[in-house]
Amino acid sequence: MIPTNWFLILSAVLFAIGVCGVLTRKNGITIFMSIELMVNAVNLTFLAYARQFHQLHGLIFVFFVMAIAAAEAAVGLAIFISLFHHRETIDVDEANLMHW
Amino acid sequence: MQFVIFFFFAAVAVIFALMVVLHRNPVVGALSLVASFFALAVMYVLLDAPFLAALQVIVYAGAIMVLFLFVIMLLNLQHQREERTRPVQQVLGWITSAAFGIGLVYYLIKYAVYRTVPQGIFQSDARTIGVRLFEAYVFPFEMVSILLLAAIVGALLLSGRAARA
Repeated sequence: MIPTNWFLILSAVLFAIGVCGVLTRKNGITIFMSIELMVNAVNLTFLAYARQFHQLHGLIFVFFVMAIAAAEAAVGLAIFISLFHHRETIDVDEANLMHW
Repeated sequence: MQFVIFFFFAAVAVIFALMVVLHRNPVVGALSLVASFFALAVMYVLLDAPFLAALQVIVYAGAIMVLFLFVIMLLNLQHQREERTRPVQQVLGWITSAAFGIGLVYYLIKYAVYRTVPQGIFQSDARTIGVRLFEAYVFPFEMVSILLLAAIVGALLLSGRAARA
């Protein structure tokens, strides 16, 4: 059996990589993929704790997170398609209509 | 043997995750993310959750990432050069995320210590999850179905209007 801690550390590393992607990239789709990476890191944490405490709630939460990630991907990519048609780019710095 | 599998696929997941962040071409990034999700599916199997590992492969690596790739191809983004963010933003982003990651790992090692490995078999097959899902979690389940419907309508509306304009 692999200790729960190792899974938690792996998930922390993946989450930090996702944060880095969101902070340092400009391409909207890459930022979106980094967000998916963070969601997956959290899923791994849920499953690690679910096994540690023998609770099914964690697994069911992961199930819901997956469903919501699918919905999020569909709407988010539709927004990027719309943005591309308006601005001919998906550089997030170009989408500054609501910028302060 | 389990430890070898864990370290191999942990390394695969981290390396391909770094590829997503570092590579300039979004197609390579999307394919790396698929590889990373496959490695995570192996992690789910190691965590006694084979049903969710299957879902990970089908839903994430299969459906969601194909959607990403499809949009990248559709918008022909693989030829578009991505401008670099300002150097200040690069440096600050790397420092912040590295500090965040190191801090998170430090506190996990310090406080979230589980010396006892859980005993017994963790029942997490499709049957157990399904029964639990339709007993205690019926309401959230129906909410998610409505959410997915709303997402379909929203996606159609957003991308459809853009095509007409």
